Amino acid sequence: MKGSFFAFIGGAFITLQGVANSRISQDIGTWQTATLTQLTGFITALCILLVVRDGKRLGLKRVQPLYLAGGALAAVIIFGNVTAIHQIGATLTISAILIAQLSLTFFIDSNGWFGVAKQRMRLPHFIGIGLMIMGVVILRL
Amino acid sequence: MIVGLLLALIAGALVSLQNIFNSKVNEQAGTWTTTTIVLGMGFLASFGIGLLLEGKHLFSLANMQPWYWLSGIIGVGVVISLVQGIRLLGPTYAISIVLTSQLGFALLWDSLGWFGLEQVPFTSKQLFGVLVIIAGVIVFKVGGGRAVQKAS
Repeated sequence: MKGSFFAFIGGAFITLQGVANSRISQDIGTWQTATLTQLTGFITALCILLVVRDGKRLGLKRVQPLYLAGGALAAVIIFGNVTAIHQIGATLTISAILIAQLSLTFFIDSNGWFGVAKQRMRLPHFIGIGLMIMGVVILRL
Repeated sequence: MIVGLLLALIAGALVSLQNIFNSKVNEQAGTWTTTTIVLGMGFLASFGIGLLLEGKHLFSLANMQPWYWLSGIIGVGVVISLVQGIRLLGPTYAISIVLTSQLGFALLWDSLGWFGLEQVPFTSKQLFGVLVIIAGVIVFKVGGGRAVQKAS
């Protein structure tokens, strides 16, 4: 029950972040919004890190630089998210994001790229993606 | 319309990449070191691109409201909730709920027109569309999840 609650709130926060960013960007601009929210998030996370000290910072040396740079993708993600919400609204934006996200994750899994455990595509995955696309089409009818 | 849809698809593809990269860092470094690095990189990239495209204008925050400073903290709330949810439920069910909740709240806020969103009137068609998408998420995650875990 507690786990479901966390997951539920987590989802709400993700959408809230998108719509809040899109609201803020109307006032101060999209790149300003991305810069500001990432900066305040970074400072907050750093404060928490200094308190909880869960880091095995030595482990970082074993991580490929490419993976360490993954966070930089957020710049384009926030830009795309904010601009899409302005143009097509939150529901359609989130739906399209999820379809692309699940499809690519699955494509990467089935090819075993980036050293992820290789997984076979199965029927439920295709039906799931198919249903999601059908849902988007229904939203746009 | 097409531009918006395309941008959302690109964003989603990048989210997928970022999740994979972040989990690689997480395996070695722990949740908060990872979160700090991810947000730090996001800041540097946004700042760099913003400076390149807007120059000095990046620093003109004329219409700034005090609460805008707090919005970045939502991202930290996301990390805490997801980590706890996945720890307690396992990834398959936790992520199914996260995605369902994301869609539900998007529909709610579109319908209410909050945060300066253009209000999209709530219709049975909207609800049906979102329910079909959620069904897709559940079939994908729960139906596809189990054998996958065995296989790996």
